[in-house]
Amino acid sequence: MSKAGNLFVEGDSLFHRMDGAVKLILLLTWTVSTFLFLDLRIFAVMLSAGIGMLLLSRIPFRRMALLFWVLMVFTLINSIFILIITPRFGSTLTGSNTPLIPVGYDTINAETLFYVLTLSAKYLTLLPVTMLFIFTTHPSRFAASLNKLGVHYKMAYAVSIAFRYIPDLTQEFKNILNAMQMRGMGISRGDGNLWRRMKNLSLVVVPLLQSSLQHIESVSNAMDLRGFGTGSKRTWYMGMPMSRSDKWMLLLCVLLLVAAILLKGFWAEKFWYPF
Amino acid sequence: MQPAISFRNFSFRYKSQSEPILKNIYLDISPGEKIWIAGPSGSGKSTLAHCINGLIPFSYGGEVSGNLYIGGLEVSEQGIFERSRSVGTILQNPDAQFVGQTVGEDTAFQMENEQVAQSVMKARVVTALDLVGMLAYEEQGPHDLSGGQKQSVSLAGVLSTRADILLFDEPLANLDPASGVRAMQLIEDIHRREGKTVIIIEHRVEDVLAQPIDRIVVMSEGEIAAIGTPEELLREGVLARHGLRQPLYLNALEYAGVPISGLKSLATPEGVVTLAGDGNLPEGSEYLGETEIRSRLEAWAERVEPATGRLSGAPLLELKDISFAYGRGRTDVVRNVSFSISEGERLALLGSNGAGKSTLSGLITGILKPKSGTITIRGEDLSRWSIRQRGEEIGYVMQNPNHMITQHMIRDEIALGLTARGVLSPERERRIDEVLHTCGLYPYRNWPVSGLSFGQKKRLTIASILALEPKLMILDEPTAGQDYRHYTEFMDFIDGLAGRGMAFLFITHDMHLALEYADRAVVMAEGEIIAADTVPRILSDSEVTGRARLRETSLSRFAKAWGLSSPSGFVQAFIEAEKKVKEADE
Repeated sequence: MSKAGNLFVEGDSLFHRMDGAVKLILLLTWTVSTFLFLDLRIFAVMLSAGIGMLLLSRIPFRRMALLFWVLMVFTLINSIFILIITPRFGSTLTGSNTPLIPVGYDTINAETLFYVLTLSAKYLTLLPVTMLFIFTTHPSRFAASLNKLGVHYKMAYAVSIAFRYIPDLTQEFKNILNAMQMRGMGISRGDGNLWRRMKNLSLVVVPLLQSSLQHIESVSNAMDLRGFGTGSKRTWYMGMPMSRSDKWMLLLCVLLLVAAILLKGFWAEKFWYPF
Repeated sequence: MQPAISFRNFSFRYKSQSEPILKNIYLDISPGEKIWIAGPSGSGKSTLAHCINGLIPFSYGGEVSGNLYIGGLEVSEQGIFERSRSVGTILQNPDAQFVGQTVGEDTAFQMENEQVAQSVMKARVVTALDLVGMLAYEEQGPHDLSGGQKQSVSLAGVLSTRADILLFDEPLANLDPASGVRAMQLIEDIHRREGKTVIIIEHRVEDVLAQPIDRIVVMSEGEIAAIGTPEELLREGVLARHGLRQPLYLNALEYAGVPISGLKSLATPEGVVTLAGDGNLPEGSEYLGETEIRSRLEAWAERVEPATGRLSGAPLLELKDISFAYGRGRTDVVRNVSFSISEGERLALLGSNGAGKSTLSGLITGILKPKSGTITIRGEDLSRWSIRQRGEEIGYVMQNPNHMITQHMIRDEIALGLTARGVLSPERERRIDEVLHTCGLYPYRNWPVSGLSFGQKKRLTIASILALEPKLMILDEPTAGQDYRHYTEFMDFIDGLAGRGMAFLFITHDMHLALEYADRAVVMAEGEIIAADTVPRILSDSEVTGRARLRETSLSRFAKAWGLSSPSGFVQAFIEAEKKVKEADE
């Protein structure tokens, strides 16, 4: 994370220049398309396309590493649980049963293993585009483009202002927590049982709320004093007009969605199992 | 000429209060005038500001009587939007008012709301940022800027809208001394070049007076107690009478037996000169000549015995060669820091924002782990102690008491830490009663916390730490945002605790605090300790104060301007004289 606490990575790729709202639409289209299928071939194509786009954006891997590993671990745990709890779930989708790995109380079959693989590929497919959106979208430009899409500017600005003050509040939270620990209300191991530690942690709520309310009061005063919310519209300093490539991307999104729906409706089976 | 702002028999009462907070205000401010509104907390000066910028009645409701005209128009007919076009406000907290993600966006914020076209906006942002010297930072976010720089950006935002009246609501409260001086300079520049009407509300007297002011308005208990030029009010001692602190060198002159009435240009330490020899003086008026004044000052400074200093006991906390960096490969933000605090000693850790003071306090309290070096308490190595264990020896008090208080009732708040440390009744109740007495909170012992004033809450946080009986207490900016009376009350109380053998570490950039309440000071700049000495000597050393972005005390600057032999001796003499006055009062 940068010092500012938001995830935006400065850069000048195609995706950095792309309109924030267009990127949001791309993300939504991508998600919907992914969830329509349970087909490893389609995921393979989309995943490659996604990784290609991510490489184009030239975000350093270092910045993405945390999110990447979190999702990997999540997917792994998810897979293990499916295999352990329902070792023959795959059969309900294919109708066949090919026993593979005995686990004592039951046997994991090949169908389930392939299902787990497909499911993991599904989650991974979402990852590159999500990262693209998170790491290349400047919060202010995003607010401006949301407003352009017809979202009221007060709502759009709320998004931006949240990004602005989250790091401040996190810092505040840490400070308060530390002062509490100094007084003996510890929250780490060795400071008492879990119940005790949870209770100590909950004590932070009051001062944190106090300081947030204070913060909100001064922020809203500052905004009032500079005329926020009086007009029915506002202009955006950071706003950018939609470029030709944005329009192309929008068109591509529509095509992707239509293709996905057609594919789903006329051709694809529910679960692709080649064996 | 029509006044820019005109209060006519104006009164205001907050909805929740029974008494009006502003009473029968008559005040005319001319276009292009530079006004300083001064007064202790609760005198109504912030309320007056809120009336001017429209937060009253738009955000804080209440009952208004009388009239207020801005630019000749009665304000009750305006909305806050129209008001924001004629009055631009710069608030106290540079963080909270920075609403944009970048410098450019924040500057443009009001124009965005006025629906100015983007191309026009970009051009005006450039002009405004250039005016305040922040153009190079256009793309930076608020987290890359210092408090003073954020303040400048807020000023740019107001300038870009072309409001004629600039209102500064405690602009220096969060700035270190050097940034404070620069901010006042910038305000003066803008005032002169753009011809704006400037109104400043502030209680850092010497900093405000460093630049020319047309008139001072002194508020007291909701009324205007005095209006006049700085010269008039200083000569008559009006500031001191209304709970404000007058410049220290004026007090020093008085102690040395030099009447202020025989001097002029009192507002800055370098400016003071004698009236004697002025050709326009009436015949027979007797003023002291320059040589006579100088010899009286010298004699006074020599006569005052430097105090032997508080006898400090054995070393309590020792830091040896401490270095620290945020993450591997980053540059060290604290480098080879060594110092110690003895039992019962009061040490001030001075330095500007970003000098490494809070990192250092984090290292002492255990929030951060040093890269190298050792911290010991009574010779015992702290490196394996958890934050909680360190808390048994070291108490830490945050700047804002609201960030520490978690309980509804006063007794419960103090009991909290004791219970967590396994101190049970009746010992617990005994300690609570004891600290309630010590901190002067006993009469309020059954009150809810919400009934306490800011200063009392601050005492409550001290009480809750005191009950844990630490050997050292770290106070982070203990007097920030308090007026002179509350400041003195609070610090005298701390002084009393120090007299009982507890050691104190004040983390601060308030030089008066260090000067009057610390035995010794350690100065940090860019992660290193650049000086450790008695405070008068440090604050008379222009090289140290310059490097640390502190400010040489006005006493020493005055002494140098008058060519006195030992500026630090002069400062020392002043501190001793103040102590005597205080003792005589008790």
